[in-house]
Amino acid sequence: MRKSILYFLLLSAGFWSCENKDESVFEKTTDERLNEALGAYEKQLSEAAYGWNAVVYPGNESSYGFYMKFDDKNRVSMYSDFTETSAKTPKESSYRLKAMQTPTLIFDTYGYMHLLADPDGGVNGGNDGDGLLSDFEFAIYPDSVTTDRIVFVGRKNQSKLILTRATQAQQTAFNGGGQAAGLAFNNISKYQVYFKRLTFNGVTYEIAVNQVDRIIKLTWLDGTTVRTFTTTYYYDSEGLVFAKPFVNGSNTINGFNKITWDESRTQLSVSVNGTTSVIGTAIRPLSIDRAAPRAWWNAPQATGGEWRSVSGFHVNGVDDAFGLKTLTSDSFPYVVYLYIPAYGSGYDLFAPAFFEDGGLSLHYGDAVRTPNFTSDGRIIFSMAGTLGDVPKTGPVAQMSAQLYESSGYYLIQTSEKTYDMVSVKDAKSWISWFRI
Amino acid sequence: MNKLSGLLFSSIFLLCSVVLVSCKEDEIGDVENIPGLGGDEWVKGPIDDWIFSNMTTPYNISVKYKWDQFEFDNVLKTLVPADEAQVIPLLSSIDKGWAKPYVEEAGKVFFNKYSPKLFVLSGSVEYNLDGSVTGGQAEGGRKIVMMGINRFKVKGMPGYKAETDSLYAKFFVFHVIQHEFGHILHQNKNYPQEYKTISAGKYYGANWINYRDEDALRDGFVTAYSASNFDDDFVEMIAVMLMEGKDGFDKMVNAIPPGTTAKGTTREQAQSALRQKEAMIVAYYKNSWNIDFYALQKKTRAAMVSMF
Repeated sequence: MRKSILYFLLLSAGFWSCENKDESVFEKTTDERLNEALGAYEKQLSEAAYGWNAVVYPGNESSYGFYMKFDDKNRVSMYSDFTETSAKTPKESSYRLKAMQTPTLIFDTYGYMHLLADPDGGVNGGNDGDGLLSDFEFAIYPDSVTTDRIVFVGRKNQSKLILTRATQAQQTAFNGGGQAAGLAFNNISKYQVYFKRLTFNGVTYEIAVNQVDRIIKLTWLDGTTVRTFTTTYYYDSEGLVFAKPFVNGSNTINGFNKITWDESRTQLSVSVNGTTSVIGTAIRPLSIDRAAPRAWWNAPQATGGEWRSVSGFHVNGVDDAFGLKTLTSDSFPYVVYLYIPAYGSGYDLFAPAFFEDGGLSLHYGDAVRTPNFTSDGRIIFSMAGTLGDVPKTGPVAQMSAQLYESSGYYLIQTSEKTYDMVSVKDAKSWISWFRI
Repeated sequence: MNKLSGLLFSSIFLLCSVVLVSCKEDEIGDVENIPGLGGDEWVKGPIDDWIFSNMTTPYNISVKYKWDQFEFDNVLKTLVPADEAQVIPLLSSIDKGWAKPYVEEAGKVFFNKYSPKLFVLSGSVEYNLDGSVTGGQAEGGRKIVMMGINRFKVKGMPGYKAETDSLYAKFFVFHVIQHEFGHILHQNKNYPQEYKTISAGKYYGANWINYRDEDALRDGFVTAYSASNFDDDFVEMIAVMLMEGKDGFDKMVNAIPPGTTAKGTTREQAQSALRQKEAMIVAYYKNSWNIDFYALQKKTRAAMVSMF
């Protein structure tokens, strides 16, 4: 008993020492400092007289160029290279800075920034529910803020937003439609020939552009060695910018300026480091990948899959040249064209698939002899026969005739599971294959 | 334990409490400085003014059209903010198609007392893993979240297409509001128990998502969702009857095809169930709220027709 009394006394002695004095290592309270930081960031954003160049790197690993002008009334006006309209028509929306876990810049009503983040795939081509995995709430970390450059990190998808202070000339260029002018580069898809080439500093490069994912690939020969460089790109007030600068020896190339499109000649010209060049064409690749045809043919067999193409052959500048989109069989709609290597003993299948009872259904098709893989890197198809009642005219007949083109095709691997198959004859017909 | 030690104990406790009391807190400090206390602030613009004079002043409703992640249930879902150009057209349509008819039929006192007090807007809908989308949420009769409003269009707005946009607006906006307001009404004054007996044994429960609306109709439910439980049956009836008008509802009932459903409902039984529910709702509006439902329905439908 007595002991416990002692303990209690001890305990109360402990409470005495409960001295109440806040010894902060900072001169100001957390709230004061937070408010100061928010105020300072807002001031920095809105007091940039000529606005900011901005680049967004969404989670899908592409890149998009913007221009932003903030005012001190929570308003921001933007240009964006998302579409031609958004590149030349400014859109005003609102922003605010808010104290979350870190100070955060929120674009809080819908502007061009949100086109990337929109979960409606119809807006940006992404998956429904995700969009392009971009953001509109960006955390600010003090160590990535300098006077002329601020790096933000998106709160949901960790996309990156980089602002760099714009010059008066850049602001004038954006307001004068400079970014929209650069988008003329998209006309590269109108070239009828598959292979495009550009020469600068005495080196000829093959250029391949994927406009959906905004990827540009340069291929060149270093002696006899094939070298490649791949980067995403976006547009600023001057033209197309490589997200990652291209360094070849002593030359550094940041992108293409002064992009002009000559509709009558179907020809693009660009300026590289001040020198103007025309993007030309070639009917064969700079370097033929001789192993590609066999690799293409073998690839689906390991997994039991097949090659698929939705729009079939692109011919002389026309997508879905044979009109597969409107094809039906017994009123079931066409979905996708298939190429199944080693479908039967000694033959492959080349056939359209139709949507029937909730799945894909084959109604007829071409039996294709096991292809001829030539030593110069071509694949040549020939007919073994037909399966079912193959239409004698129309899209299916045209697809077959094109496939059996006697000089064959080059195969160009464009990603792990995609190939483009380009006609050797004139490189004006090709089909893009994918597998899942 | 003797008396003495008991006394000692009490005095020690007393001592302890004295000690604790003396351990006094300082002032809590300058609370005015806490960032965001009292809500986010921004420089007010024309939309804020419009909302103040057209929603807040007359109806005591505030509208959050600027992004605030924490107003949405599931922070993992991807949504985008409302487009400013959509805000006023959306809110004035809601005023026209929902608020005004109620105010005219039931009076401002009724409306301002029971209407939800906060609207939160999202530009996009919410995509669910099962492939469905969510167009709205409601919280305790106080807050209604409206989603997908960037694609909301009524007659006169650029790019308006009657056949798709009227369905979209009904589904994502008017249906949500009428439905939720129906819940508020019956949560304040419950509907007669007899309502639950009309379709007893036919409800689908959580399985409602596997039914189409036209199948549910054949079982005597105005939508598939209304077959999920009694309360939702009640408010779905209200929402559909108000939006579609008497003629529209009659058409739905009369169009039920002959035959018997898997639940064993005949056409006559389905039609009779829907008519009994209709009659009970009309009586409920009269007895509980002194509202002439058919007059309200006529006004609501007229407003809907004028917009689409």
